[in-house]
Amino acid sequence: MNWEKEIDEIARRRELALSQGGEEAIAKHHAKGRLTIRERIDRLIDDNTFEEIGPIAGAANYDENGNLESFDPANFVLGFGEVSGRKIVVGGEDFTMRGGSPSPAGLRKSIYAEEVAIQYKIPLVRLHEGSGGSVGGTSGKGTNLPGPVNAPARFRSVAQAMSTVPVATAALGAVAGLPAGRLVASHFSVMSKKTAQILTAGPAVVARAMGEQKTKEELGGWKVHTKNGTVDNGADDEDACLAEIKRFLSFMPDNVGQLAPVTSCDDPADRADESLTSIVPKDRRKAFDMRYILSSILDRDSFFEMGRSYGRSQITGLGRLNGQPVGVWANDCKFLAGSMTADGAHKARRFMELCETFSLPIVSLVDEPGFMIGSQAEREATIRHGTSAVLTAAMTTIPWASVMIRRSFGVAQAAHYGPEGFVLAWPSAESGPLPVEGGVAVAFQREIAAAADPEKRRRELEEQLAARQSPFPRAEALGVHDLIDPRRTREELCRWVSRVQPLLPALLGAAKFSIRP
Amino acid sequence: MTKIELETGGSVWKLLTKPGDLVEEGDILFILEVMKMEVPYESPVNGKVTAVHISEGDFVEEDQLALEIAD
Repeated sequence: MNWEKEIDEIARRRELALSQGGEEAIAKHHAKGRLTIRERIDRLIDDNTFEEIGPIAGAANYDENGNLESFDPANFVLGFGEVSGRKIVVGGEDFTMRGGSPSPAGLRKSIYAEEVAIQYKIPLVRLHEGSGGSVGGTSGKGTNLPGPVNAPARFRSVAQAMSTVPVATAALGAVAGLPAGRLVASHFSVMSKKTAQILTAGPAVVARAMGEQKTKEELGGWKVHTKNGTVDNGADDEDACLAEIKRFLSFMPDNVGQLAPVTSCDDPADRADESLTSIVPKDRRKAFDMRYILSSILDRDSFFEMGRSYGRSQITGLGRLNGQPVGVWANDCKFLAGSMTADGAHKARRFMELCETFSLPIVSLVDEPGFMIGSQAEREATIRHGTSAVLTAAMTTIPWASVMIRRSFGVAQAAHYGPEGFVLAWPSAESGPLPVEGGVAVAFQREIAAAADPEKRRRELEEQLAARQSPFPRAEALGVHDLIDPRRTREELCRWVSRVQPLLPALLGAAKFSIRP
Repeated sequence: MTKIELETGGSVWKLLTKPGDLVEEGDILFILEVMKMEVPYESPVNGKVTAVHISEGDFVEEDQLALEIAD
């Protein structure tokens, strides 16, 4: 007598679990241009590194003699894997069964994902495609009993994961309800432009409740959700989404108790870019390419932008200086003059919280004309969202280096400088309570109106005041650490990084405030 | 047909094309003034301007259709 029969059954169950929703369901899924969750995990992680959790969790059906007749695996696949040699937890809904709507075992595994990542203190990647609960309940056989009153708060682990380990998510098909909520409960999220939609509720529910007839794509396609900030990035297809997640993780520590990985850097720290001496036009009405400046100053090809289509006046992302991962923030004067809009402020706040959570130093290239103004800006509560960003900056404890590239005005500019930050200025820097054009019109209203040629007088006053905003008096007053030749920016920032690196270990551990979606 | 839609609101400062003009990729079609900054809109294609929906001095809004080019 031995355990042969049981051992055989284990093997059989494993095999049945791998068949997912069955050949037909998988073929249908592939025909729509989508990969299965097992294929997704396989493409994300290094070869042969998947260690599955609960591979035979699911629902077994037995015949009258108690023999296994069929087996429905849990429709959430979960496990450990490695990305570029670093251990992560990875999981995602299996759309080939119940359209990803959680089965009882699927729901258990899905909720367990955060708990495992917190326990092992390693990054969590969730690859989403599926919907939330069904009125039929997770069993599909009627409403389940509600959870007991003493059950742990359902979303506590989701919130805890975000303050403990990096969480990166992708929407790779239609994602609705609970999976959509989990998708955005992340530090970085990306959606596939070809195959994903994100829906608080799908077309049928919307039609029933609102009378609005919309397709999935119209309701929650990439054009909607990359622009409104629901996800950080859109990528062409599933592989491109996985590549973005790997890129994001490459800048991240395993958890808040560790330092972000410093890599070797073959880009010289003293590399000087000649074009930086003329990139900012002397004509103050002319825009310049801030992304070029970023790519020129950071380690070659290291800039990874997050949220490019949302809050576009602000540019946020990650990059490296002499191999050290840093958070990168700059204004884009080509979009609303780089002003602090409500959505730009929200994006900036999340960015600062990300850096604070994982002890990433911030490099800020400043060209901030102030809060966005006008009736639309008022309707969007710009002052509230903007002030939220300003106070977030004031509460950070991580090192900051801010380079005044051009404008630095109003209350909004304060968001671009951290406490005790290192501040450099380019010769093109201007600063003050507000840009001269607006300020002159208000402060010298009567004088301008009384002049023989009001327009001429206004321009004269603007020129006089613009001259006073020169960075030299600021440098004389030690209002900046240094006024520099723009070509030296990279070198100065690399020196700054080597000065602050020894300070970073003392910052590790749970941040006083963490990031929320 | 390529449609040029506005990325932000603002006012039309300079209109540099009219219907019938042949344009090349990178040519500046018009310049908006937004928050005291000039924002040039370049043609993304080679083609012929078939319709212009904005005029100099107009206050315009985000997503507004500005210009159409047959490419």
